[in-house]
Amino acid sequence: MVALIELLSNSLIAALLISIAIGIIGSIMLINRYNYLAASIAHGSYGGVGIALFFSLPLLLSTTLFALFLALLLAYLSYKEPKRLDILISVIWAMGMSIGIILSDLTPGYHSDLLAYLFGNILLVPNDDLYFMGIVDCIVLLFVWQNFHYLIAIAYDKEFAITRNLPVKMMHTLILVFIALTIVMSIRSFGLILVIALFSIPPFIAEKITKNAQSMMLAAAVIAFFLIVAGLFLAYFLNISATAAIILLASAIFLLFFKGLKSTTSP
Amino acid sequence: MQLAIEVKHLFFAYEKEYVLEDISATIKDREYIAIIGPNGGGKSTFVKLLLGLLTPTKGTITIYGTPPSKGRELIGYLPQNIHFNLDIPLQAREVILHGRLSAKKRTFDRDDLQMLEHIAQQLHITHLLNKKIGELSGGERQRVLLARALATKPKILILDEPTAAVDFKTQKEIYQLLQELDLTKIVVSHDVNILLQGVDRVFYINRKLYIHNNINLPITPQEGHFCEMEIFEKLGSENGCTH
Repeated sequence: MVALIELLSNSLIAALLISIAIGIIGSIMLINRYNYLAASIAHGSYGGVGIALFFSLPLLLSTTLFALFLALLLAYLSYKEPKRLDILISVIWAMGMSIGIILSDLTPGYHSDLLAYLFGNILLVPNDDLYFMGIVDCIVLLFVWQNFHYLIAIAYDKEFAITRNLPVKMMHTLILVFIALTIVMSIRSFGLILVIALFSIPPFIAEKITKNAQSMMLAAAVIAFFLIVAGLFLAYFLNISATAAIILLASAIFLLFFKGLKSTTSP
Repeated sequence: MQLAIEVKHLFFAYEKEYVLEDISATIKDREYIAIIGPNGGGKSTFVKLLLGLLTPTKGTITIYGTPPSKGRELIGYLPQNIHFNLDIPLQAREVILHGRLSAKKRTFDRDDLQMLEHIAQQLHITHLLNKKIGELSGGERQRVLLARALATKPKILILDEPTAAVDFKTQKEIYQLLQELDLTKIVVSHDVNILLQGVDRVFYINRKLYIHNNINLPITPQEGHFCEMEIFEKLGSENGCTH
């Protein structure tokens, strides 16, 4: 068991750091109903992977910058064209992925990193990624600590927040920026296709079992950590893909929870 | 007497269709105004313009001499009881405290907590403070949102359909409380019973504004009920002046 934990040490640290991000940003994402926006950033950031391959740039840097660009573009469009946002989200989603596919096609050679970015592998998280995760978590914690009441007041009633002259646009933009950063930091572990499930399921369960947003964030982080660690051990003993095992376990628990929720609220 | 609100030749159009046309009015400090009219007549649009949530196509609005984007900080606003995220884990006390936030104030202090207790007692909602907002009934939620509006320490209180989806007892309590508050009050309602609540003037809005200074119900109730359409028809006729 000790050998197993040593083998998984980077993965367990990554699990802890990603769980903190899920607890905070995943919860803010959910209470603002931004999951579709976040999925667009996650999938669209594949464009950053293609740019990195084509121009031989560091993958993490390129993907981060591209995801930030998408976040700012979405923030701008959501002020300018709020009624057409759904179609704009879909276009940005597809456009980013297309850029990634075309640029990787145009880059000669076999690109093993591509699969890692699409499906992720939490067993192969390098030390550099852990530092990046740690820094992002610290910034996110600071941001939420400073603006907690603003974030919750805006999520509950944006119109009232505007009448109080709260910084609604700035908070919206910063939330999208932090969604981009936390998603990018998690992509190498969970892949851009699967990462959104992990950012959505623990906060959804936490939302239903807690009474305030602070406890929702804490509960979501704990649930995320439990799911990731349980999935890792499941993958080890069944000899299956760790990322897929984690997401499948999370999905199974989500479905059971959702069924339970339905049966308690139905007449 | 000081003017709380001044509206001059206000026009507002969604796309190219005018919803409000050439509206001019003044509301004095501590006046109690009822805004009534049919659904789609422009009542809520007018309120959103006062709050600076919409920008006029033409015309000007001032709140105590300042534009709505600044003057709205003097307004306590109770929005229509729709469009809220009821899943969010949030206690009633936090919702009320949101009224204390501003561009320069991002946390709560001891004074805010004392004010919360005071308002909760005033509105008889102390027992609701620790409940999740999504678990409250329509009437309870409405009282919590009214408490949030009062927590802003407003000079003007604007309530958009405060008695919609609440029971008769809560409706009576809300009207009673409004009469006790020494503020400029504007109540938007499609419920003609507001006319019986001691308001100073009635603004009837149906694309144009008809102001009624003398509040005599244009018809008497038939078997205890008012015929809303008939009242609207009379309020929108020559009985009122259009400015």
